[in-house]
Amino acid sequence: MQLELRGLTKKFGSFTADDDIDLTVEPGQIHAILGENGAGKSTLMNMLYGILRPTAGQILVDGEPVEFSGPGDAIAAGIGMVHQHFKLVGPFSVADNVQLGREHTRGAGVLSIRDAREAVREVSERYGLALDPDAIVENLPVGVQQRVEIVKALSGPKTELLILDEPTAVLTPAEITELLEIMRSLADSGTSILFISHKLKEVQSVADTVTVIRRGKVVAELPPTASTAEMASAMVGRAISLEVDKTAAEPGEPRLEIEGLTVVDDQGFKIVDGLDLTVHSGEIVGLAGVEGNGQTELARAVLGLMKPASGRVRLDGRDATHEPPAERIEQGLGYIPEDRARDGVITEFTVAENIILNQYRDRPYSKRGVVDAAAVRKRAVDSIAEFDIRTQSPTELVASLSGGNQQKVIIAREFSRPRRVLVAAQPTRGVDVGATEFIHSRLITERDTGTGVLLISSELDEIYALADRIAVIYNGKIVGEVDPDTPREVIGRLMVGADADAATEADHAENDGGDR
Amino acid sequence: MAVDTATAPALLDESAVARKPIHGWSLAVLGALMTVGALTQLGGREVLFRLDQTSPGAEWALPASFAVAVLGVLTALGGALMVYGIQRRFHKTVLAVAVTCFALGLLLWAMSPEGVVFRVEAILAGALFLSMPYIFGALSGVVCERSGVINIGIEGQFLMGAFSGVLVASISGNVYIGIVGAMLAGSLSTLLLALMATKYQVNQVVVGVILNLLALGLTGFMFDQLKKTPGYNVAASVPVLDFGPLAEIPIIGPTLFRQNLFVYVGLALVALVWFLLFRTRWGLRTRSVGEHPAAADAMGVNVNRLRFWNVTAAGLISGFGGAFFTIANSLAFTKNMTAGLGFVALAVMIVGRWNPLGVLAGALIFGFTTQVSRYLDTAGNSIVPGEFLQMLPYAVTIVVVAGLIGRAKAPAADGVPYNPGDK
Repeated sequence: MQLELRGLTKKFGSFTADDDIDLTVEPGQIHAILGENGAGKSTLMNMLYGILRPTAGQILVDGEPVEFSGPGDAIAAGIGMVHQHFKLVGPFSVADNVQLGREHTRGAGVLSIRDAREAVREVSERYGLALDPDAIVENLPVGVQQRVEIVKALSGPKTELLILDEPTAVLTPAEITELLEIMRSLADSGTSILFISHKLKEVQSVADTVTVIRRGKVVAELPPTASTAEMASAMVGRAISLEVDKTAAEPGEPRLEIEGLTVVDDQGFKIVDGLDLTVHSGEIVGLAGVEGNGQTELARAVLGLMKPASGRVRLDGRDATHEPPAERIEQGLGYIPEDRARDGVITEFTVAENIILNQYRDRPYSKRGVVDAAAVRKRAVDSIAEFDIRTQSPTELVASLSGGNQQKVIIAREFSRPRRVLVAAQPTRGVDVGATEFIHSRLITERDTGTGVLLISSELDEIYALADRIAVIYNGKIVGEVDPDTPREVIGRLMVGADADAATEADHAENDGGDR
Repeated sequence: MAVDTATAPALLDESAVARKPIHGWSLAVLGALMTVGALTQLGGREVLFRLDQTSPGAEWALPASFAVAVLGVLTALGGALMVYGIQRRFHKTVLAVAVTCFALGLLLWAMSPEGVVFRVEAILAGALFLSMPYIFGALSGVVCERSGVINIGIEGQFLMGAFSGVLVASISGNVYIGIVGAMLAGSLSTLLLALMATKYQVNQVVVGVILNLLALGLTGFMFDQLKKTPGYNVAASVPVLDFGPLAEIPIIGPTLFRQNLFVYVGLALVALVWFLLFRTRWGLRTRSVGEHPAAADAMGVNVNRLRFWNVTAAGLISGFGGAFFTIANSLAFTKNMTAGLGFVALAVMIVGRWNPLGVLAGALIFGFTTQVSRYLDTAGNSIVPGEFLQMLPYAVTIVVVAGLIGRAKAPAADGVPYNPGDK
């Protein structure tokens, strides 16, 4: 299928999300769309898939103008979409998820389970995507869930164009490699693919053409041979450094010691399972792992938001296992939470209020229980300048800031107290390249002033860029502690808990590292 | 994707031996008290079971002190096991058995005074009959909440149905037209809920509460007005279906084969709603809309339209349930005659885990409790004051919902309004 967009525009009130976008996807081509968060990629895809109606412009399929009044129309026209946030019904079986909206029935609306099962088998065999039609989706690993999404998208009446929206965000390195191979083979068999991403290396390795979008406009058409620096500059609109400058770490005394920590969730699962980890002053320990292996709960337990079933958390040598979070913060624990909107900021508060959230009770921000607005404002103005927070004023609501600027508000707040330990969970998630650069350099500065930093990230690139030591978490346990020059494949294998081989190899790598 | 990532995290060992001292001690003490009480207080009393309808002569006497003492010992034993420590996976079973033994013991005790007879067939048939409002209310709730709309207004729909059923039947002179009127009145109430929940995206709990109050006020006002002009609030009734020889089978005959029309409709509805929800295209889409509306939307299902019609249709069921209070009981309407049973129906829906078959089981427990409390109350001679007996269904609600069911999982998008484009 050839897909052409002509002058596609979407406005939300006075805000223009997409502005006059022209784009042509040729049959059997992988066309990458590169852009930062908020550049208008998702809005564009939602228009293509009939979820949003364009304000102006045209969509042409094989030269014919089409209008979609809902996803049903897009599916009928041969477009399938794999959403960034999986659109799968967790308690349903694979077959039910695939047949939703185009059910196999025996007439009179009665479902035919056998036909649905058969249809899944047929598609999964044709494209080599192994799936059990009867498996319940919420019990499947994320990579397999994505396979369900792909099979679902390919199961349309005549799917010829596949939209993949940030498909690698939740995958392990091995799964990413496999996905890129699947994309290649789909394209070779004639399916056109629109690949939305902000990961430059993946785009380079798989795309036939790259279109870069910035602030809702097409700013560049590049060949996949373009360098990553070139792509990044086009995305951000200025020259950008992808490397993080840092000197060798000088680890000092232990600052955060986690001993045999076990955290149990309300269903009785051991989410963190007898975990041991130590972070020293002046080093960044990167905690690598596929999401959902206990990172969230570990961070929350270190902060004191979750009560461990057993084990100890020591901060600065003292046993903090039973201290409330406020006490830990008081004693120098900083925390950048992974779920910004839920745990990081109060979106309906102003920038200034969010910045003093951890100090509002103290002088000079409040006196005898009354907040001193002038002092708060002054502090906010200073922080906004220091941390380069792009906001119209200190009294703007945090909800109206971009993800990157919200994250800077959190960092401005957390860095306002003297710190001994910093737990940074997914600090650059949903943050654009420019802000990422800034956050990374602040984390390095932080380390150099002697703070012990625990960096939890599901982005291996980030771990490699920052960490002085890498610990790999799998199923709530640390399955390996390795040097940052350990090859990706080794860490990738550790991340999926693949056998003792990987562990021994990692040991070798560690020893080699020691010889360096 | 050659390697499947993330196997399930390690589960707490289900076969590990664990103690539950608080539950255990409570049960052990209660069981012991019951045993001692039975042996000292019940003396030579007997509990009389009588097949009162099929073979009036058949009676069976159970020595009360012995039976209650045994049940007390079993309760205490269950408690002791939990204190001593048993494998984790047996906890729920032991708890359920011990609680059931204790409840049965109390029941037998209450039945033991001289002159009180456990009329097996009357009680079982009555229990099934009394479970009907719970079934209708909870099924209406199931249809709404499986679609993602909280229907807290079942009580109001009951009132609307109860009132309109009698009114329409009185005017038309036909009880079946009255029932249709009851269904439409219930549906009118859920139509408002559906509109508020989909088009205006108002908080559904608030809307439900208001609809309840609205129904209470409206039916109360109309009742007062109609009192002045006779002929609009006349009791009507539907027939009891008697399956002849089948109805003469001891115990199950009178329970299953000689019942009010409403009972058969209720049982058929349980099967029908189950089939529709889990075996049809409509059901698949309804459940997807309640679990993950964005997923359904992405596959071309019109989320808000489906929710709107489902909720509106669910009102037909709860409106029908409203007619139970008047028509099935051959009663005229009185103010607030539903007495909060709509809320108990909501509890039944949760106990039944949003599944029609679970609803049936839950409704039967509640119906049985209601029946026993009424029976003991009217049988007089009871050692427990009537007010306490009337509390029984509600006490059972608390114990069952909090203790045995624990955290039930509602449809994920229950009560969450949906806007196209949401994630």
